[in-house]
Amino acid sequence: MIGLHRVSKVFAGKRDVTALHPLDLRIPKGEMVAITGASGSGKSTLLNLIGGLDHPTTGAISVDGRELGSLSDDELTRVRRDKIGFVFQFFNLLPSLSCLENVSLPLHLRGWPRQQIHERTTELLNLVGLGKRMEHLPDELSGGERQRVAIARALSVYPPILLADEPTGNLDSATGVEILSLIKDLHRRLGTTVLMVTHDMSVARACERIVQLKDGVIVSDARVESQAAT
Amino acid sequence: MKLLNLLSWPYVRKHKLRTLLTLAGIVLGVAVFTGMHTANLTMQSAFQRTVDRIAGKAQLQVSAGETGFPEDVLERVQSLREVSAAAPVIEAALATPQGTLLVLGVDMTGDSSLREYNLEGDDEDVIDDPLIFLAQPDSMIVSKQFAARSGLGRGSKLALKTMGGQKTFIVRGVMKATGLATVFGGNLAIMDIYAAQAVFGRGRLFDRIDVGLSEGVSVREGAAKLQALLGPGFQVEQPQSRGAHFESMARGLTVSINLASLFALLIGVFIIYNSFSIAITQRRGEIGVLRALGASRGQVRGLFLLESVVLGVAGSLLGVAAGLALARGVVPGLAATLQDVFGHAVSASDITISPPLAAFSVFIGVMASLVGGYIPARSAASVDPVKALQKGRNQVLSEGENRWRRRAALICIALSAALIGFGDANAYFYPGYLSGIASLILLSPSMAMWLARALRPVLKTVWPVEGALAADSLIQAPRRTSATVTALMLSLALAVGFAGVSRGIYDSLIEWMRHTLNPDLYVSPSRSITAKTFRFPASMAGELRSLEGVEEVQPVRNARVMIGGEPVMAVSLDIGAIARRVRVKPVEGDRDEMVRLASEGQGVIISDNLSLMRGIHRGDILEIPSPRGLLKLPVLGSSVDYSDQQGSFLIDSKLFQRYWGDDTANLFRIHVKTGYSREKVRQRILKKWSGSHEIFVYTNEGIRDYILNLTGQWFGLTYIQLAVALIVAILGIVNTLTVSITDRRRELGVLQAVGGLRNQVRRTIWLEAVSIGVVGLVMGAGAGLVMIYFNLHMLHRDLGGLRLDFTVPYAFMAAMTPVVILCSFISALWPAESAVRASLVESLEYE
Repeated sequence: MIGLHRVSKVFAGKRDVTALHPLDLRIPKGEMVAITGASGSGKSTLLNLIGGLDHPTTGAISVDGRELGSLSDDELTRVRRDKIGFVFQFFNLLPSLSCLENVSLPLHLRGWPRQQIHERTTELLNLVGLGKRMEHLPDELSGGERQRVAIARALSVYPPILLADEPTGNLDSATGVEILSLIKDLHRRLGTTVLMVTHDMSVARACERIVQLKDGVIVSDARVESQAAT
Repeated sequence: MKLLNLLSWPYVRKHKLRTLLTLAGIVLGVAVFTGMHTANLTMQSAFQRTVDRIAGKAQLQVSAGETGFPEDVLERVQSLREVSAAAPVIEAALATPQGTLLVLGVDMTGDSSLREYNLEGDDEDVIDDPLIFLAQPDSMIVSKQFAARSGLGRGSKLALKTMGGQKTFIVRGVMKATGLATVFGGNLAIMDIYAAQAVFGRGRLFDRIDVGLSEGVSVREGAAKLQALLGPGFQVEQPQSRGAHFESMARGLTVSINLASLFALLIGVFIIYNSFSIAITQRRGEIGVLRALGASRGQVRGLFLLESVVLGVAGSLLGVAAGLALARGVVPGLAATLQDVFGHAVSASDITISPPLAAFSVFIGVMASLVGGYIPARSAASVDPVKALQKGRNQVLSEGENRWRRRAALICIALSAALIGFGDANAYFYPGYLSGIASLILLSPSMAMWLARALRPVLKTVWPVEGALAADSLIQAPRRTSATVTALMLSLALAVGFAGVSRGIYDSLIEWMRHTLNPDLYVSPSRSITAKTFRFPASMAGELRSLEGVEEVQPVRNARVMIGGEPVMAVSLDIGAIARRVRVKPVEGDRDEMVRLASEGQGVIISDNLSLMRGIHRGDILEIPSPRGLLKLPVLGSSVDYSDQQGSFLIDSKLFQRYWGDDTANLFRIHVKTGYSREKVRQRILKKWSGSHEIFVYTNEGIRDYILNLTGQWFGLTYIQLAVALIVAILGIVNTLTVSITDRRRELGVLQAVGGLRNQVRRTIWLEAVSIGVVGLVMGAGAGLVMIYFNLHMLHRDLGGLRLDFTVPYAFMAAMTPVVILCSFISALWPAESAVRASLVESLEYE
C-alpha cells in the first residue's frame, strides 16, 4: 500500500541538515501505524514525504501502487486528492468557511455535483457527531469539534489512506482520547490505512504498529502487542 | 536612526518588491505633480520668454486686443514727449517643414533702437543700412538655428505660404544664436512690417507698438500718458502682462492640472498608507518584541515615521526625475492643443524643472509619505506586546472602527449638502466639494465590505471553492484591501468625472453645432480655424459670391478684446443675415428683438458662459475697448455659444468695422444653392484661390469633426487619468495580493494539501484580484457620478461658464470596465505564481 525504498531527506542551507537518513518502510493496506519519536527525529518529515507534500532527496516512495517521484505537481495533487486524507495538529480549517463548506472543500475541488456533495458532507458531519453544527464557523467550535471537522474533511473523498500529524497534540487529554477513538472507529468501519505521527506513547499504543524514529533513523518497528510485551 | 539601520533596513532588503511599490506610490504622486506643473510652467515661461526677448528694450506695449489698429496710431504714440522710440510690430506664426516659424514684421528704420539683432559677420550692414532691407520686400532675416535646420545662408531663397500664395523670400541676414534669435526654439524670422501686412492680410493695421520711454520717465508715468493719449480702447501694458493674459486664457488647463495633481498625490498617499499598514501588520511580532524590550510608543512611532521620511525623500527624488520625463512627453501635445484651442503658438524646447518647483515637489512627496505613514505608525505604536504574536486577527477592522468611519462619513455628507445648499459662493462650494470627497473616502472600507459580501454568493455559485475563498479574503481582511480599493475608487472617479464632463460638453457642442454651424462650406486662411495669422481681405466675399453655385457668403471676423482686464472673443458678423439661417433659442432675451437691435448696431448678444462667468445680464452695458474709443453697448440677451472658453459676444460687422477699422475676415460661411454639389463648389473655390492664397475649404461635416477633435484633444487628459488609475490598480492590487498570499499562506497550503490543483489555487488569487478590481470599479463609478456633479458645477461657476446637463459617460464606463478587470487580472499573475510555487510544508506550518 505504502512503500518507501532508501528514502532520505536533507534540508539544504548554509549548513545541510539531514532530517531522514536512507530508510525502508512498508505499510500494508488497512493497517493503523503510529510513527513516534522525539522532537526533530524526522517523523513529520516522513509523513510529509508519504503525503506528497514534499520531495525526498533520495529514494522512491509508492502510494497505492503509484511512484510519487515520477509525478508532476498536479499529478501529485491528484494522488493526494484521491487517495490521501490529512489531519493536522492545528486543524487547518479555513476560518471563513462553515463546517459544511470546510468538509465539502475536497469534493468541490474534485468537481462533484452539488447535491452529492451536500449528501456526503451531511453524512460525514453526522458521523463525527457534528450534524447540528454544520453552519458554524471554526471559530465557534471547541478544539475537539474542530478536529472532528478536520477528520470529516479528510475522509470526505473516501481516501484509502489517512495521514494524521499529531491529531491530539493540540487537545486536552479527554478530547484527545475522544478523537483517537473516533479515528480508530473510522479505521475499523471504513478499512482506511491510518498513519499517525505522535510523540505521545499512549496515543501510539492505540495503533496496531509503532515505528520509532531517532535522528532520522528507524530505531524500532514493532506490533503493539509485542512492544507491550517487552 | 540605529533602529532604522537595525530593523528597517533588513525588512527593506527582505521585501524589495513592497519597498518598490511604496516608492512607486510616492513616485507616481510626485511625478504627476511635478510633470504636469513643469509642463504648464514651461508653456507659460516659454510664452513669457518669447514675449520678453521679442520686446527687447521696450518698456511698454500698445495693443488693442487681438484686433490690431490703424497705422496712424503710431504717429500719435511717437508724438508723445515721454516716448523715445516706438516701433510697430506684426507677429505671426507660419507652418514650415522645420516646425512653426515665428515671423516678426518690424520697421527696420526705428526698430534697432529697441531690439538687438546681432547678425553674423558682414550681415550687420542690413541693420546699418535698413534701406537695403526695405527696398526689397522679399527680404528676410532668419535665426542661425533656423538657417542651419533649413540649410539656409545669406542670399538663400526661402519659400513660404502667405496670404498671396506661395512666396519666395531672400535671406538677407542670419542672426547669431543669442538673445532675440533664441526665441521660439530658434525658429524666428524678421521681415519688414509693411511687407508683413501684405503677407498676412493685415491691411493697414499693426498688431502692436513697442515703446521705449525717454530718460527719466517712469514706466507708470509713461503708461498713464499713453493711455490718456490713446483712450480706453487701447491696452498700454508692460510686456510681461501678455504672459498674464496667456495664463488667464489657459486657466482651465491650469485648474485641470491642479486637480489631477491633487488626486495623484491623494492616490499616492493611499498607496503609501496601504504599504505601511501591510508592513506594520507583518512586523507586529517584531514591534511586540521591541515593546517588550522596553521601546516606548514614541520610539516605535518615530521609527515608522522616519522610514516614511526616508522613503518619501527617495521616492520624491525619483518622482522629480520621472516628472521631468513626463513633462517632456506632455509638452509637445500641450503646445499643439494650446495653439489649436487659443490660436497662440508656443515653442517650448527647453524643458527643465525649476529648483523651487523641484524642492516643493520633494517637500510635497515627503509630506504625502508622512501623511500616508502617520496612521500606520500610530497603529504600530499602539501594538500591545502581548497580542503582537497572536496572528491572524490584525487585518480585521473592528466594528467600532467601521462605525466611527461611517458616522464621520455621514457628518461629511451632511456638511457637504449643507454647504452646497447654503450658498453659491466659492467659500461654500469648495469646502462642500472636499467634504463630499472625504465622505467617499471614509465610507469606502464599509462599501468595499458590503460589495465583497454581495459578490460572495455570485462567486461561490460559479466557483464554489475558489470564488468563496477569494470573496472571503476581501471580507475577512478589509484593512488589507480597503486602501487599494479607495485608491482605485478615487482614480477611477477622477477619470469618470472628467469623462462625464467631456461627454456633456460633446453632447452640448453637437447640439450647438447642429443649430449654428449650418453652412455648407467654410473657407479659412489657416489650417486651424482658431489661428489668426492670416486674414482674408473684405473684397474676397464679393468674389466668392460671384462663383457659380454659391448662394450666400457670410464673412466672420473674430478676435479677442480686453474687457475688464480679461480677454473676450468679439465675433463680428452680419447678424441679420446669420439670423435668417440660424435659429438659436436664447438663454436670456427675446430672439427677434435681440436680432433686430443687434443688426442695427444697438447692442450685443453675449454668450451664456460670458454671462455666467462675469455676471453680465440682459440690460447691462458692456464696455468694449476699441481703437476708436470705448464702445458702450447694451447687452440684448445671451445664447449658448462655444466660440471661446472665456466668453464671446456677437457684434454686427458694420459696427465692428466702424470702430476697429478692420474689414478683414477670419472665416467665410458659405451656403450653396439648392441643386449644386457642395464638393464641386468647394473645388471651384480651391481652384480660384489655391494658387494665389493660403486657403482651406472645409465641409460642414469637416468643421464639426475638427471642433470635436479639438475638444477631444482637450479631454485627452481623461485618458492620462485613466492610465494613472490603471497604474494605481496594478500597484495596489499587486501590493495587496502579495500580503494576502503571505497572510493566507496556510490557507492556500491547505487548499493544495486537500487536493487543490495549481490552477485552482491560481484561480482563487486571480478571482481575489478581479474582485478588488470589480469592487473598485463599482465604487469608482459611483464616486465618479458624484465627481461629475461637482465638476459640472466647477465648469459652470469658475472655468468655462458652461451650463451642461448631467450626462453619464456610459461608453467610457463600459470601456474602462474590461480594461480595469484585465489589469486587475494581470496584476495577479505574478502573485499567483509565487503562491503556487511556495513550499507546501512551510505553508502548512506557517504561523
